[in-house]
Amino acid sequence: MGEHWFWWLLTAAVVVWYSTVVIYVAFRGLFDIRNMLEHLGRKQRQDQP
Amino acid sequence: MTHFSWAIDGSIVGLYLLATMIAGVAVRKYVGKVEDFLVAGREMNVYLGIASLAATEFGIVTCMYTAQNGYKYGFAGATPGLLNAAAMFLVGYTGFCIKPLRDSGVVTIPELLEKRFGSFVRWLAGVVIVLGGLLNMGVFLRVGGEFLVVTCGLNPGTLEITMTVLLVGVATYTIMGGMLSVLITDFLQFVVMSIGLIAVTILVLVEVGWDRLVGAVTEKIGPGGFNPIINQDLGWDFILFNLFLNTAVVLTWQTCIARVLAAKDTKTGRQVYTRTSFFFVCRFLIPGIWGIAALATLTPAMFAGLSPAMQENSSLYAMPLFLSTLVPVGLMGLLIAAMLAADMSTDSSYMLTWGGVIYNDIMAPFRKGWSEKKGLLWNRFIVAAIGIFLLFFGLWYKLEGDLWTYLTLTGTIYLASISTLLIACCYWKRANNWGGVAAIVISATIPLGFLVLEKVDGATAKAIGPYSSGIAAYLLSGAAMVIGSLLKPRKD
Repeated sequence: MGEHWFWWLLTAAVVVWYSTVVIYVAFRGLFDIRNMLEHLGRKQRQDQP
Repeated sequence: MTHFSWAIDGSIVGLYLLATMIAGVAVRKYVGKVEDFLVAGREMNVYLGIASLAATEFGIVTCMYTAQNGYKYGFAGATPGLLNAAAMFLVGYTGFCIKPLRDSGVVTIPELLEKRFGSFVRWLAGVVIVLGGLLNMGVFLRVGGEFLVVTCGLNPGTLEITMTVLLVGVATYTIMGGMLSVLITDFLQFVVMSIGLIAVTILVLVEVGWDRLVGAVTEKIGPGGFNPIINQDLGWDFILFNLFLNTAVVLTWQTCIARVLAAKDTKTGRQVYTRTSFFFVCRFLIPGIWGIAALATLTPAMFAGLSPAMQENSSLYAMPLFLSTLVPVGLMGLLIAAMLAADMSTDSSYMLTWGGVIYNDIMAPFRKGWSEKKGLLWNRFIVAAIGIFLLFFGLWYKLEGDLWTYLTLTGTIYLASISTLLIACCYWKRANNWGGVAAIVISATIPLGFLVLEKVDGATAKAIGPYSSGIAAYLLSGAAMVIGSLLKPRKD
């Protein structure tokens, strides 16, 4: 780590944060997609004469 | 010698491309209105927004110039990422400009500007946004193709055909499903891209090692490789220019702001910004580390395999050359799939969001009374036309000069003025159309003038420098807004 501790910490933070977030977003994003398509489908049915 | 295996890596890439196409085309049935096409019916929630924004803002072109920054400037080259992240977090946290923008219910920024500055400024803003945006994205395909040529060892003669096929695939699902297809495919692309980026970064850190990375920067760049202020090629003007540039990007870059406008409400739009902000550090630092690793490991003899044109700009191709020798079979397929994912998500979103400005703002005077069906047809036609433009401008036309200068220059054509107009529109009651037109003209003239000066009198242009001219564009654009607005007589 030495005198360049700022870049070492930032690199470590990037790897840890990104690895964690990708799993969380992948999981929660699937629910967002399902809800979005459900809402759009419902809107479409309501708009039909 | 590349490690790309057509049997193993090619199958991984093919499977990914097939899944993307199926997902992108499958959601076309949900598109019934122009609003569904352009802003996904405003049904996007936080996590889908994070995935989509991150995937869109990371393309192969991003990876190439951020890695080039790492190769040339060391860790200090990642400074724009830190500034971008800080700007995005602060804007999301405070709601600065994006709250009134999303609350207004508009589809594009020029539509909001019309309420304060009138229909001519809306139209003019649409023109400069499209001009800057299309010229900016014009180079994406070629740079993406060159990455694949170096990393996979593709025959350079097949670059045009490969990227044409890729673009046709992206255009097909974007034309059919609009923002809905973009969001769904962005999600898939975010996952694939992120796994590839993380896996390759860990491999680089393990194989090359932290001490060797730091040692290469210390030896070949010096203290300026860790501190942008003391770097002779960067300095305070670089930091100030990037502060202006990245704040303007967060406020007005069409692909970023499209996520705020597609969000289901203002709170969701702000959360997408705050929670995605740190990704912009990753966006610069991850490829930056790949670039530093290239600096640490490549020898001059290893560049001999590149074409003469690539050898002239070797810092740009050092990173893909390094990856072609480091990444093993299997992981190489994941890397190529990740990079294709990054590029496809960027291309689709750029085509759609800039097409949206053409339809919503430039065509506004001509489309009164149009049906939803006719509006959808025109939007699809515009996306197809942008795809054709990309093919001819970006792939068959060869860019002269430096990539990063070109990108910042074309972006600044509209970033300085539209960010000024947006801030004035939201927070300064005295702002009017005189100031709006003056800001747009100044903002477009300075970067274009600098480009001309570079060709006519290179020594003077070098003395001024791209960062100083960029700072001038932002400051003078703001001054033009104030002076122009104050000069117009009040009606009362």
